[in-house]
Amino acid sequence: MTTRREIVRTQAVRKTYVMGGETVHARRGVSLTIYAGEYISIMGPSGSGKSTFFNMVGGLDKPTSGEVYIDEVDIAQLDPFELAWLRCRKIGYIFQTFNLIPVMTALENVTLPMVFAGTDPDEAREKGAALLALVGLGQRLQHKPAQMSGGQQQRVAIARALANDPAINLADEPTGNLDLKTGHEVIELLKKLKDERGVTIITATHDMKMLDASDRVIWITDGQVSRIQSRQELDIQIGSIDGREEA
Amino acid sequence: MSHSSHRSYSSSRIFGDAPGSARRIVVLPWRRAFGMCAANGRYRRGRALITFVCIAVVVAFFASSMTNQHILGALRASADVRVQAALERANAAAPDAASAARQRDQQRWLLALSALLCLAGITNTILMSVTERVREIGTLKCLGALDRFIVRLFLIENACLGAAASVAGALAGIVLAVLQTGLMTAFGLLSAGVCLRAAWYSGPRAAALGTLLTVLASIYPTIVAARMKPVDAMRVDV
Repeated sequence: MTTRREIVRTQAVRKTYVMGGETVHARRGVSLTIYAGEYISIMGPSGSGKSTFFNMVGGLDKPTSGEVYIDEVDIAQLDPFELAWLRCRKIGYIFQTFNLIPVMTALENVTLPMVFAGTDPDEAREKGAALLALVGLGQRLQHKPAQMSGGQQQRVAIARALANDPAINLADEPTGNLDLKTGHEVIELLKKLKDERGVTIITATHDMKMLDASDRVIWITDGQVSRIQSRQELDIQIGSIDGREEA
Repeated sequence: MSHSSHRSYSSSRIFGDAPGSARRIVVLPWRRAFGMCAANGRYRRGRALITFVCIAVVVAFFASSMTNQHILGALRASADVRVQAALERANAAAPDAASAARQRDQQRWLLALSALLCLAGITNTILMSVTERVREIGTLKCLGALDRFIVRLFLIENACLGAAASVAGALAGIVLAVLQTGLMTAFGLLSAGVCLRAAWYSGPRAAALGTLLTVLASIYPTIVAARMKPVDAMRVDV
């Protein structure tokens, strides 16, 4: 096996909020490394600090102390322009509520990050169409979000996240607003992208279906990583979870 | 084409020779920004129409009172006996200096007050359209939009809307003023020259004022929008 490239590294990351004069520890010193081409699920109940951690890994929030490196860049040192550049080129975002721009067609939505990145318009259109074909929407380039189902919108959002070939893709509850079957299809798509294109995927989720696709699952409780499970450990566990679901 | 000219000093400092980063820029071309604003205006026709009407009504008021004054001024300056008689009948003969000054002051007060009301009203409608689009703005920021892109989008959108509404309002106001003075005196007395001169005087002024007011009114909502954080895109409660 070749040496794996580190894509995200956190070092003793802490995040504290001051709420009503009281200091709340959302994160209590987490060190973690995520490698290129991994599919990571961050699981935990709401209020566990899962979102806080997720947002810091995604360059949306800065830690109070400790360091977050994305592709060897310490995000705490970046100015607003550099952060925007990082979001544009290095991170792809997939949201629970899809967040397509309602006034734009599927193709325009997918090419928007490329517009920001200064890609040549013809090149952007070509790549956008190819990405939409990749997610199975090659026939829906000119559809507006309102003319598409939730699953289709999420596919467009996934294509948009891939527009600038980001180092990591962050998916915040990507199946949260989808029914069981469509949610499963979205997970399959993410897994396919990971397997075939080596895309790095980090999700924050409650969805147990996600376990099946994950290389590692990071369980978070009370602001700390309580458990990190690898693929092998998960294989043993999935049987019991499936069993529970069927019961 | 060389990409090095686009290279930003600050990002190359941090990102150095990061692989796959041919261009270290974040851009929003003006043409694209105008396209986005136009699409947005079409999509949110309802809200745009409310703002449009609000601005147009106020500008119509400005334009009509200016046109009115201008036409009456021209008529009063006329040596024609019929004109003077008509003005007498309409109770619109030149007032004495003291009451003319009083009238002018009242007029100014009214204009200033309506401008203020207009400002507050437009600010409010634009602010609402900003809060409606929290997630959209957050998403744009997640995709790499800088604060100034958001400023650009909102300013273009509101300046265009303000200008269009102001032109429409000014035209309506001029027509109303001509009708009103005509009815008050006699249409036969209003020459095309007088009306056109009055329109040429008040139309551009009222339209410019309306556009300026809209741009002023959009400053605060635009700042609110630009300051939104990328993480707002994750909100599910809006």
